[in-house]
Amino acid sequence: MDKFWGYVNPDGTVGTRNHLLILSSTIYSNGLAERVANSVYGAIPIIHPLGRAQTKSDIRFTFKTLVGTAKNPNIGGVVVLDHFQEEGNTAEEIAEEIAKTGKPVEIVNIRNSGGTLESTTKAIRLAMDIARKITLRRRDEVPISKLLFGLNCGTSDTTSGLSSNPALGHCSDIIIKQGGRSILAELTELMGAEEWLASRAVNQDVSDKIWKVIADFENRILDTGEDIRGANPTADNITGGLTTIEEKSLGAAKKSGSAPIQDVVDWAETPPNKPGVYIMATPGHGAESITGIGAGGSQLLVFSTGGGHTISHPIMPTIKVTGNPYSADYMKDTVDLDVSDVLEGDLTIEEAGEIILKEVIEVASGKITKSEFLLEHNTGFAIHRIGMST
Amino acid sequence: MAKKNIFVVSGSDNVATILQKGLEKGATVEVNVGDNSKFIELKDNILYGHKVAIKPILKGEKILKYGLAIGIAITDISVGEHVHIHNVESTRGRGDLTKRR
Repeated sequence: MDKFWGYVNPDGTVGTRNHLLILSSTIYSNGLAERVANSVYGAIPIIHPLGRAQTKSDIRFTFKTLVGTAKNPNIGGVVVLDHFQEEGNTAEEIAEEIAKTGKPVEIVNIRNSGGTLESTTKAIRLAMDIARKITLRRRDEVPISKLLFGLNCGTSDTTSGLSSNPALGHCSDIIIKQGGRSILAELTELMGAEEWLASRAVNQDVSDKIWKVIADFENRILDTGEDIRGANPTADNITGGLTTIEEKSLGAAKKSGSAPIQDVVDWAETPPNKPGVYIMATPGHGAESITGIGAGGSQLLVFSTGGGHTISHPIMPTIKVTGNPYSADYMKDTVDLDVSDVLEGDLTIEEAGEIILKEVIEVASGKITKSEFLLEHNTGFAIHRIGMST
Repeated sequence: MAKKNIFVVSGSDNVATILQKGLEKGATVEVNVGDNSKFIELKDNILYGHKVAIKPILKGEKILKYGLAIGIAITDISVGEHVHIHNVESTRGRGDLTKRR
């Protein structure tokens, strides 16, 4: 049985990190969030362009994302920032949800604190108290069944579907066999792979849901009146040899391995406890997709990238793996693992999967990724929109 | 297994992926499908990771990779030709071909 060293939370979930989060509820507190996080030890800012003047369903979607990110098991404590007030997404409403997990949470409102400088002082002082509390926490050894494992790919090329994605799938299968769960997302990149995915559904109902969730997303694309090619596959996918979305999808779906698909979940929804693969409804856009996965409670993500990538989620360690030997070289400072010997040498898919698993266990236990070391906090957080600005 | 310079995923595929840099028009590559092997002469310069036709493909036929359709040929494609966006169309996400509601 594989194990990792994680932070056991009051609600029974296990974090691979114990982050102090400085959460901006609206674009107008982004400046404060950056100023506070940049001034103190070990804090991570969450900033974004939303939180205000959105249609109601859209702002609920934003709210769900911010709350889910703060409730993620990797968060030890949170300071929520607000500039004034926005119905349906206030700091108070966000903090009330976070508090249900039992982790420390505080609020700072810029207007109610007397302005930018006063709110900075107040937020730093609150952050200091939380940091001194949560840094007392220690890691415990827990079974790998506690892992909700995120699967994603981006800047894919033809090596992705032939090497890094099937290797990641093998790693996912091993984790699921030991009682863990994986999240497969990116609906655009499942268009063309429905039959293969639906054949792995645990029952007819889930099979129907898989067909429907992908068709619903494709209908949104058709409503644009445009050919998706160029937007997905993207220009870099096409340069890398991928010709159509169907080709990209068949390669992308390989990263979910061969384990049963338990269910389809909404954006930012935490899957139930049954081991298996869960399909989350997100777009193919890499940063949006991993934002949905992180808000759903995944504590670690492996990102497979043929062409190489800089992406990293702010609070969910993002291990990047490539099967392309040239990308392993060009992007060596942000790609963590090179499995190009699957195509270049003697490495089998299974052996490559074991290499990924070893890295997953090490990173889950505290080893930092290259992007964490480089403080790449702003390459992997983007909230998808289902409505419009008002 | 030594380094592969061309990769066929499934026996029914009509395209293969080139895994060597700098392969030019006129180069010969050996393709293994199951126990059979054959030599193909490249009719185009083909970049690393791009696809080559390993069977003749007629206009309107499916391009097969992973044993499944990844698109439709929009011209006849002969063995050894580069297979990519200039001669293959996707059948999915085609809002341009869908009547606006």
